[in-house]
Amino acid sequence: MPRIFIYVGLIALLCLLIPPAVIARVRATPNPNLPIHIIQDMDFQSKFKTQAVNPLFADRRTIRPPVQNAVARGETYVDGLLYEGVTDGAWTQTLPPQVPLTVATLKRGQERFNIYCSVCHGETGNGDGLVNKRAMELVANTNGPVNGTVWVTAKNLVHDETVTVQPVGQIFSSITHGIRNMAGYGSQIPVEDRWAIAAYVKTLQRSQNARPSDVPAGTTLAEAK
Amino acid sequence: MVQSRPASFLRTSQAVSRFLFPRWTNAILPFVLVVGAVAPLYAVMFVAYGFSPKTLEAGYMPHQPVPYSHATHAGKLGMDCRYCHNSVEQASFAAVPATQTCMNCHTQIHKDSPKLAKVRASYETGMPIEWVKVHKLGDYAYFNHAAHVNRGVGCVECHGRVDQMEEVYRVAPLSMGWCLECHREPVDRLRPVSQVTNLAWDQKKEMTREQREQLQKTFNIHPNENCSTCHR
Ligand code: HEC
Ligand code: HEC
Ligand code: HEC
Ligand code: HEC
Ligand code: HEC
Ligand code: HEC
Repeated sequence: MPRIFIYVGLIALLCLLIPPAVIARVRATPNPNLPIHIIQDMDFQSKFKTQAVNPLFADRRTIRPPVQNAVARGETYVDGLLYEGVTDGAWTQTLPPQVPLTVATLKRGQERFNIYCSVCHGETGNGDGLVNKRAMELVANTNGPVNGTVWVTAKNLVHDETVTVQPVGQIFSSITHGIRNMAGYGSQIPVEDRWAIAAYVKTLQRSQNARPSDVPAGTTLAEAK
Repeated sequence: MVQSRPASFLRTSQAVSRFLFPRWTNAILPFVLVVGAVAPLYAVMFVAYGFSPKTLEAGYMPHQPVPYSHATHAGKLGMDCRYCHNSVEQASFAAVPATQTCMNCHTQIHKDSPKLAKVRASYETGMPIEWVKVHKLGDYAYFNHAAHVNRGVGCVECHGRVDQMEEVYRVAPLSMGWCLECHREPVDRLRPVSQVTNLAWDQKKEMTREQREQLQKTFNIHPNENCSTCHR
């Protein structure tokens, strides 16, 4: 048999290994050239899904921001107690009627606090959140603050006297509009949840400053659990 | 012994010199048979593996306009997914955050970083940052985040360990077969709703199968397999 046939045959066999190797590699490593649509089906229809790019508008948004000065139904914001935490010209000491003070509300507040606030203020509210710690490190860097970082320590919500004396309405207002160096969360958190968080902050302040005398007489540890 | 043949045959065979396969070709015959048998198998395997959504769809990792890292924010800084993707519990869509959300921190932290130049520009001009969509179903398929995360299907089941990714890539094939696999047998992939955004938490380690079955029973979780669930 002429040698050439043997070589050609062997090379052909080796070439057969290339496609499986390519497939294995594509499967194993993330890459930017996927997905490949061999059969298009109706994968791409001429409709705009949420947050898609829409070339018809100057800002290329599919979701249109509301027209200036338009007021949506139910969003009149005239309820000063619910939206600003103010009643009779002073911060409210109680929750608005739309948000009843129940265990469910406080549990909701705890969950939302841990999502939105604990990154800076810490889960117990004493200011030891991971973002706060990292920001302090960036400021304290030996070669000067990294990338111009400036940072005011996130307040200790449960021990700082200037915060613990605040009525729930004032805390609600700080969440909604922000305060000095803290951004406002009014657009990110629905109004009921902001009240739940404010109520939970008051709860934290109470529990973090608890004294033995707060425990009803005769309660054992097992009962408290 | 020469046999007598018709005259016409003799004439053509003299004109065209007859081709005879050389004797060594006999040795090739078995190989040809083997190749003939294996080739269809090879082709089938090639199509099955090469054209599968696990190859063509999973692993998609586009480059994003801003080098935003989930490993830093969700992993190292421990941020909850819902801080940014805050519509995920109410809506079908898991909103990618507005620039304002980034600026909650980045007006102060790394405020002059060149990596954040596009974020600052977006904040000033009001033009959105055009993040490249990583997960996309065919436009004829309907998906709903709220229906899953409020019933105890964790982000990690479908998106993998996002909190360890520098750049998000697609872990799952997002094919119909993949959806149905879970819809038919969800028990092993359910967790308490409180752990949905905790990607490090693994229900197979933390809970027994009985506990998961109990979870499914208590909340009456029965994912639909009707076509109209996802094609509407
Ligand atoms: C990005 C980090 C960050 C997050 C997230 C954050 N805060 Fe703050 N917060 C701060 C900083 C910084 C201050 C101190 C501002 C100052 O004194 O200039 C502060 C101050 C406060 C104060 C004290 C205001 C005062 O009158 O002194 C309250 C109350 C507060 N935050 C509540 C919250 C609540 C509730 C949340 C969750 C919705 C939250 N914060 C989320 C950083 C943060
Ligand atoms: C600090 C804000 C932030 C947090 C916290 C965050 N993300 Fe994201 N996420 C983004 C941004 C911005 C994008 C778009 C850019 C990208 O794809 O990297 C994104 C994209 C994604 C995508 C891809 C979306 C697509 O285009 O298909 C997934 C999936 C995702 N995030 C999951 C998660 C999960 C799970 C968590 C919780 C562990 C999380 N994210 C926490 C900001 C955040
Ligand atoms: C709760 C605060 C917070 C939010 C919200 C946040 N980040 Fe960050 N980000 C940080 C911190 C803290 C660092 C520094 C991490 C480090 O250096 O280890 C950082 C670092 C970064 C860096 C790297 C900067 C550098 O020069 O190294 C980028 C890029 C970035 N963030 C983008 C974003 C984007 C985009 C968003 C919005 C989707 C966002 N961040 C939202 C806190 C936040
Ligand atoms: C049952 C699977 C599943 C679960 C659980 C899930 N996702 Fe998704 N996610 C998807 C699919 C499928 C898409 C693509 C949707 C589309 O193209 O319509 C997607 C898309 C996204 C996107 C891009 C925006 C969008 O909605 O298209 C983000 C961001 C995201 N997911 C974040 C999350 C977060 C955060 C969680 C956990 C709280 C989560 N997902 C849980 C399957 C899932
Ligand atoms: C990891 C498991 C899992 C995966 C993967 C999964 N699902 Fe689901 N799905 C569920 C569960 C659990 C429910 C809730 C069933 C219930 O509420 O009884 C559900 C519910 C739904 C619903 C709402 C049904 C209704 O009755 O309203 C839709 C729509 C849906 N899934 C679509 C999809 C699509 C499309 C995919 C693939 C992209 C997918 N699912 C992938 C587990 C999953
Ligand atoms: C759990 C959700 C779900 C259910 C139930 C479901 N599908 Fe699908 N189907 C999908 C998704 C998601 C895709 C898109 C896959 C993609 O994007 O590549 C799809 C794709 C398809 C396609 C396109 C074929 C392809 O592979 O490109 C057809 C046809 C189809 N489905 C028919 C059906 C029929 C018929 C039924 C009822 C027996 C059904 N589907 C039930 C989720 C579902």
